[in-house]
Amino acid sequence: MSWLRIIASGVRARFQNRREERQLEEELRGFLELAAEEKIRQGMSRREAVRAVRLERGSLQATKEVVRDSGWESVLATGCEDLRFGLRRLRRSPGFTAVVVLTLALGVGANTAIFSLMNALMLRTLPVRAPEKLVELLHRYPGEPAFNGFSWDAYQIMRHQNHVLSDLIVDSPESFVVRGQSLEPQTILGGYLSGTFFETLGLRPAIGRLPGREGDDLGHPSAIAVVSWSYWKREFSLDPAILGKQIIVNDAPVTIIGVAEQGFEGLNEEMSQDLWLPLSMAPVIRHSALGWGSLGLVGRLKPGVSIGQARAELAVLFQSAVRAPGAGPFIRETKFEMEPAGSGLSTPFRQKLRTPVFVLMAIVSLVLLIACANLAGLLLARGASRHQEMAVRTCLGAGRGRLMRQVLTESLLLSLLGSWVGVFLAYFGGRGLLGMIASGQDMVSVPVQVDVLTRPDLHVLLFTGALALVTALFFGAVPALSLSSLPASALQPVARIGEPRSRRLFSRGLIVAQVAMSVVLLSQAALLVSHVLRLRRLNLGFRPDHLWLVTLDPARSSYDDRQWSHLMEELLAQCEALPGVRSATLSGMTPMSGAGAGSFAVVRGHPENHRQVSINYVAPNYFATYGTRLLAGRDFSWSDQPGSPVAIINQAMVRDFFGGSSPLGSYVTLDHVTLRGSETPSYEIVGVVGDAKYNDLRQASPPTIYLDAFAEGSVMSQLTLRTAIDPEAVASAVREKVASVLKTVPIVRVRTMTDQIDGSIVPERLTATLSTWFAALGALLAAVGLYGLLVFTVSRRTNEIGVRMALGASRGDVLRMVLAEALSMVGAGLVIGAPLALWAKQLAARLIPDLTANAVWVFLGTGMILTIALVAAYLPARRASRVDPMVSLRYE
Amino acid sequence: MADKASDLVQGTLDMLILKTLALEPMHGYGVAFRIEQISGGVFRVNPGSLFVACQRLQRAGLIRSGWNATENNRRAKYYTLTRQGRRKLSGETREWERQVAAIARILEAS
Repeated sequence: MSWLRIIASGVRARFQNRREERQLEEELRGFLELAAEEKIRQGMSRREAVRAVRLERGSLQATKEVVRDSGWESVLATGCEDLRFGLRRLRRSPGFTAVVVLTLALGVGANTAIFSLMNALMLRTLPVRAPEKLVELLHRYPGEPAFNGFSWDAYQIMRHQNHVLSDLIVDSPESFVVRGQSLEPQTILGGYLSGTFFETLGLRPAIGRLPGREGDDLGHPSAIAVVSWSYWKREFSLDPAILGKQIIVNDAPVTIIGVAEQGFEGLNEEMSQDLWLPLSMAPVIRHSALGWGSLGLVGRLKPGVSIGQARAELAVLFQSAVRAPGAGPFIRETKFEMEPAGSGLSTPFRQKLRTPVFVLMAIVSLVLLIACANLAGLLLARGASRHQEMAVRTCLGAGRGRLMRQVLTESLLLSLLGSWVGVFLAYFGGRGLLGMIASGQDMVSVPVQVDVLTRPDLHVLLFTGALALVTALFFGAVPALSLSSLPASALQPVARIGEPRSRRLFSRGLIVAQVAMSVVLLSQAALLVSHVLRLRRLNLGFRPDHLWLVTLDPARSSYDDRQWSHLMEELLAQCEALPGVRSATLSGMTPMSGAGAGSFAVVRGHPENHRQVSINYVAPNYFATYGTRLLAGRDFSWSDQPGSPVAIINQAMVRDFFGGSSPLGSYVTLDHVTLRGSETPSYEIVGVVGDAKYNDLRQASPPTIYLDAFAEGSVMSQLTLRTAIDPEAVASAVREKVASVLKTVPIVRVRTMTDQIDGSIVPERLTATLSTWFAALGALLAAVGLYGLLVFTVSRRTNEIGVRMALGASRGDVLRMVLAEALSMVGAGLVIGAPLALWAKQLAARLIPDLTANAVWVFLGTGMILTIALVAAYLPARRASRVDPMVSLRYE
Repeated sequence: MADKASDLVQGTLDMLILKTLALEPMHGYGVAFRIEQISGGVFRVNPGSLFVACQRLQRAGLIRSGWNATENNRRAKYYTLTRQGRRKLSGETREWERQVAAIARILEAS
């Protein structure tokens, strides 16, 4: 109860401030008067008595201060005073305030932006029941991203035979074309779910009902659907009449039976799903069985079971599933993995961004450290000019703690202002970041909705708030502590001796630290940029310039194979006739697009040599268009007949399968090519081409086999044109041709090959671009810090310099003296920074595969900071050398 | 005499103030004067610590205050012990005696 009273009386005291003050003064005065009267009674004169009392009992003002400050509410009151005072001071020096706020805003903004990305990708949990218990099942083929795609049979085995999961549910994302009454055809992302999906995640319907176990019965497909709340709002304006409505998903009519809970949009924030169908609809809509790769699996751990136990048990079940008939040779070589899924499923998108986000987080924290060191130096120099003010206040009875509190309040004010601006910077700067991320390879045919990645939430705001506090303490503590060594002599008009040695050393130490961190940042940036440049300069095995890529969507064109072939032949001929177009071709995939196909190949007569090869289906003229050299044999021709299949292989495949001998005329069979029925066809090798990159710039060209697309009757959706002029210039003409020849086939996407390649190295470009910006920022801050310190010391030493010059020092001597001081700091920074940079380089090399970690980049970083520092130091040095001895001596 | 006065043992000022007020309501100077007088000048109570303590005791509800006239017709703030304060004082006194006795035993033991 008593704390209640303490608070109440504190609050009362706060509001009855003036009365309380008067009473306190009266009480104290009375005390001193009574004490004086006592002395007078003992025989002192009144004058003596008053003096004696003051000596013995202390001054009225000081005592009043002590008593007033004893209650907790006084902290609040003085805090408000400090705040007002601080604001007034900041307003009085807008230049200083702007510099500090901007520096902080850049430092905090960079951290906030990267952290919000990290938060969205790794920390934010899904809005479902007990998300920390969710695990994702994955398998990984050596050298590729882990993949959550299992077969129906494997699902049955793993679901029913495990003892570690309370349930195993299916979530298979897929994009659908949805149309219906009053609904224009529209491509949306959705997925297939198993019956216990919503139940296991603890989700309820907003309206209607959610599909149950009946949806798992593959024999009786249930044509029902559930939509997301945001889809309901977007397309139906929250009209309850949505229930019972029929829509057409791809070609299958289904009935909407419910709307999912508001806020739930699937297990991946950046790919929000709008439509869910029961699993039994998957074979109907996909026209294929639920084979390997078709089901995404998510499990919920039983209470008390660790993810390690679950992983071990399911790995065993996975092994028995892949040994079952029907599992291809690829699957047998994959390894089972299990990851926590509480913050979303690990798409390749997330897997690729993981390392860059960590690298960037390290970089931005260094930037913030530099900013802090910079501001500490700035405030320290400014603090020196406030010594008189502080000394006066000390003499008037301000305690040291009280002064420190005021200085810290000012720092806090600055850092809050800076962080506030920083949050805005982060938000807008984040958009640029997202633009770059979004240009990456597509994961599904619906683009990733990256904007959710920078949606500010409580985590991010807390992070930024904490950052602001820590920063304020970091750079505010230095000037605050410097007050504690305030000498009594500070009251003297001009401190002639300059600053104490310890403080001078500290300011220089701050510069040294900034230089050292800048060296690390600059050399890292140089390293990452060189990495991207190297990737871009790589020999791809084809000429990437002047290639225009057009992706068609023939899935619902209603043309049969024969019509399609004819139309395509005609389209290619018409495209080649366009002005500016050199040649045109078709293929199943284009290099670096993110898609690909593979199989196991055996050369007839050598059954023991059973190896993996990559496949592409190409039309005649593919190699000429791409600029890949035909080394032996011939290209495909329009006259190749489906009856006698032919293939062209690359050098890597020749090396793997034929050693030195010529492959021409040999026959090769491929597993898993089931386009033309169940029999495995034999292909005659008719040509050999040079190696070309397939899907990943970073990897060597894989052994690749090219099959004749037309002879295979394969559906090829990629049209590629080689142009003589800027590829964009032919875009509209090509679009018209496609529309006139293929009336029912929409164009999904167009872009240049250069853009596609850039899209495939987004993580590298992201880290390189951002680290360059941040390194430049860090170096700039360090240079400004150095410049500021030198200007400050030169102005303090004007006198000394004047004396030196009067005694015969030349301008050159003075210039050299100041530069030497700067160089000593920069040199110390380099000595500390270079080993750090080398160590950071090793670290980066471990994080980023095939990074050519060359020490040259560290030297480059060192050279850059040296140049920048010399420029920053030259200006104050020149100013020092222009000091007029007469003027400076009179300056006293 | 002034420079020989020692500081109070930590935490005892509150108890001494309560004890002084237990006799009769008194103003600040009276409390200080009495403590100094009875202790024979061993303790010196400065207004700073005295009024901080008074404020603290008042907020804890152990004492009350009100303005009143002094013997020589001055206005002064008088402090009065509350019932709660009285309880607290007897408790603290017992505890203090217990501790002093214990310390004395230890010191005599050697």
